[in-house]
Amino acid sequence: MGKTDDTKLIERCISGDRQAFEALLTEYEKPVYNAAYRMLNSPDDARDVTQTVFLKVFENFGQYDPSRRFFSWIYRITLNESINWLGKANRLEPLTFEAADEGKGPEQELESARVSASVQAALMTLKTDYRTVVVLKHFLGCSYFEIGEILELPEKTIKSRLYTARQQLKDELTNVG
Amino acid sequence: MAIEQKFTDLINADLDGEISDAENSELQQFLNENAEGRALHDELSSLCNTLDNVEQEDPPPYMRHIIMNSVPPTQAAGDSRGFLQVLFATPALKYAMTFAAGVFLTLSIVNSNQISNQALDNVTGLVGTVAEPVNAAIADSVVLRETDIAGTVSLRSTGSLLILDFDLVSTDHIEIQADYTDHTIWFNGFAQLASEGTTVSAEAGRVRLGMEEGKRRYAVYLQNEGGRDTTVSLSFLADGAVVHQANLEYAPAD
Repeated sequence: MGKTDDTKLIERCISGDRQAFEALLTEYEKPVYNAAYRMLNSPDDARDVTQTVFLKVFENFGQYDPSRRFFSWIYRITLNESINWLGKANRLEPLTFEAADEGKGPEQELESARVSASVQAALMTLKTDYRTVVVLKHFLGCSYFEIGEILELPEKTIKSRLYTARQQLKDELTNVG
Repeated sequence: MAIEQKFTDLINADLDGEISDAENSELQQFLNENAEGRALHDELSSLCNTLDNVEQEDPPPYMRHIIMNSVPPTQAAGDSRGFLQVLFATPALKYAMTFAAGVFLTLSIVNSNQISNQALDNVTGLVGTVAEPVNAAIADSVVLRETDIAGTVSLRSTGSLLILDFDLVSTDHIEIQADYTDHTIWFNGFAQLASEGTTVSAEAGRVRLGMEEGKRRYAVYLQNEGGRDTTVSLSFLADGAVVHQANLEYAPAD
């Protein structure tokens, strides 16, 4: 969805149109949930954070700056909520690898689940700052410029964090095999 | 020998699609001449490919309902039009409600997207009717012995459904309001046994019935997705004044 479409929906949301809010929810529910999931490594926590994010969005439409893109606003809220959640739950320590859920489908699905679990476990070994840029780049498809806008950091810092994160992920995944 | 920072930057920029033509030429020349650089490029390319192809997780299917139920309503409850008028105006539901008039229960669920009426703006979830006797386990019940209204209201549960079973007699028009604060619960259907004139409206956390005088039997369905302990608060109003209040408790079996 383009910036113009989002802006129109937000204008309708501000005037109290619940259908417009549901349209935004439909558009952003999955990326928000996935960003939270990759940050938190827990479907339940990702669900709770996603709910919190959309409630905050609903309650704070008045604070949204229409000169910026909506996704940068909602992704920023998502990442902040996820980081707050990590802090509350004291879950900053790296998590162990989880086995893929076996016996649920064809071989391809199992392989896909195995890769996803391995990547997720490697992600959880990264410091939060590094994990954040990886999630924005590879799971939300943001450019350097967009990541800089969301995190309010210079592109140079984004590149540096991303490169370091990749190096660590590469080493982590190589070590695990 | 370590690769110069400038070239690791170019390798990453190339993988991210953020490299200019001039930078790309410089990178290709470097890669042609440097085996270590090519190895790093291949390794990071493989990593990026893996990361970019990790499948997206699907959010829980009920999450959207919970979020929509959590946001405050933007329309006064009294503004909603009568719910039964909407039901009877919908062919699929007309059949279902006619069927329900003779018998009582078996949830014949009709997806809410079949009902495109604005009166349902505040109703998220599914709308259903009933066609067999209510036989779900009773979690709690309350007996009313007021001047204006008497009878029993039971809270039943089956699977992820909670059913408010109203078996009442009134001497006048009564408004019944059922409130529930848990956002993982939402209105999921209504049925009545052989009666007319009832109005139903639902919004996040609340269902209201308008009951005409006489003996009535209603079932209100609530989807209890969270399966948690919950309380449904009932208020019975005559001429705008509360004549009876009661709470019904539900606790899931261990």
